Amino acid sequence: MKWNRIAALAVCCGALAACGSQRADDASAAAEAFLTALADGDAAAVCAALAPETAQALASSEDQTCEQAVAALDLPTGTVGETDVWGDRAQVRTGTDVLFLAELDEGWKVVAAGCEPQGERPYECEVSA
Amino acid sequence: MRRALRDNGLSIGFGLLFLAALVGQAFAGRAAFNERQLADSGRQLTLLEYVTSSDFAVDVAENWQSEYLQFLLFVLATVWLVQRGSNESKLVENAGTESDEQQKVGKHAEPDSPEWARTGGWRTAVFSTSLGVVMGVLFALSWLAQSIAGRSAFNAERLAQFQDPLTWFGYVGSADFWNRTLQNWQSEFLAMVSIVVLSIYLRQRGSPESKPVGAPHDATQESG
Repeated sequence: MKWNRIAALAVCCGALAACGSQRADDASAAAEAFLTALADGDAAAVCAALAPETAQALASSEDQTCEQAVAALDLPTGTVGETDVWGDRAQVRTGTDVLFLAELDEGWKVVAAGCEPQGERPYECEVSA
Repeated sequence: MRRALRDNGLSIGFGLLFLAALVGQAFAGRAAFNERQLADSGRQLTLLEYVTSSDFAVDVAENWQSEYLQFLLFVLATVWLVQRGSNESKLVENAGTESDEQQKVGKHAEPDSPEWARTGGWRTAVFSTSLGVVMGVLFALSWLAQSIAGRSAFNAERLAQFQDPLTWFGYVGSADFWNRTLQNWQSEFLAMVSIVVLSIYLRQRGSPESKPVGAPHDATQESG
């Protein structure tokens, strides 16, 4: 009985760890899709990888469509590095900048890109909601 | 069945109140969390997602640790600290761990004393501090859980505000951790002072937490 409980606990812990790792993989994949679209100059795919409010904010700030606004931006491209997931939020370091993502109903989306550290203050991002 | 309910009414009553309050907290907490999510453009959580989230866990754990700390301190402090006239205190002259005779251990044990009170040696030593030790362990585990769940919830907030997440050591040194901790501790300490002092002058007929109604104000360690 005792060993059954320990085994059940181990399975639960393993499942939680696997779940956490899966979510980090999903966030990394979303960041990868965003960076690939940026590198390919695929503005539609970049906009699709952005969170709706971020895409909307980008479009309204430039008074253009999201695709037109993205084409005019010079966001750094890079490769996905360290990914940190906490709750429904993730931070992905790309080597050249930092991305912030949120897990929405439609999956992980980029809420801020082109982010540079500002010491103790929040990152300053070229694109954010 | 009725007798079992009557004999255990206090445990059952508070057990049910605990469950009802926890369920209420789950519903209210989820509503508050989802309101914040709207402001942060985050996803709305289902009740199941919320009760398995770090936000719910830290809100639960921060209250649990302070309650266990309250009882740990009350159990330990009342060994040495006394309050003349308080029903929550023992007699002033009994301050300390008291004699084996007073504590009914070893050869002073009575026929119905627990076995480990009678045997002496390490068993009696362990049993003599078991309440404080278990309260201390529960406090430590709850506080540890608060730090782990709190770090997770706080880091999610930081990422939503485009800030770097904190390490565990960074979090336990943070204002958020100590604000959550101390706001609970101060209320527990206030409650302890209140019951100790108010029980000197006020009465609640029939309650073991009160002296008998007619007991004098300077009577200590009397239950009514």
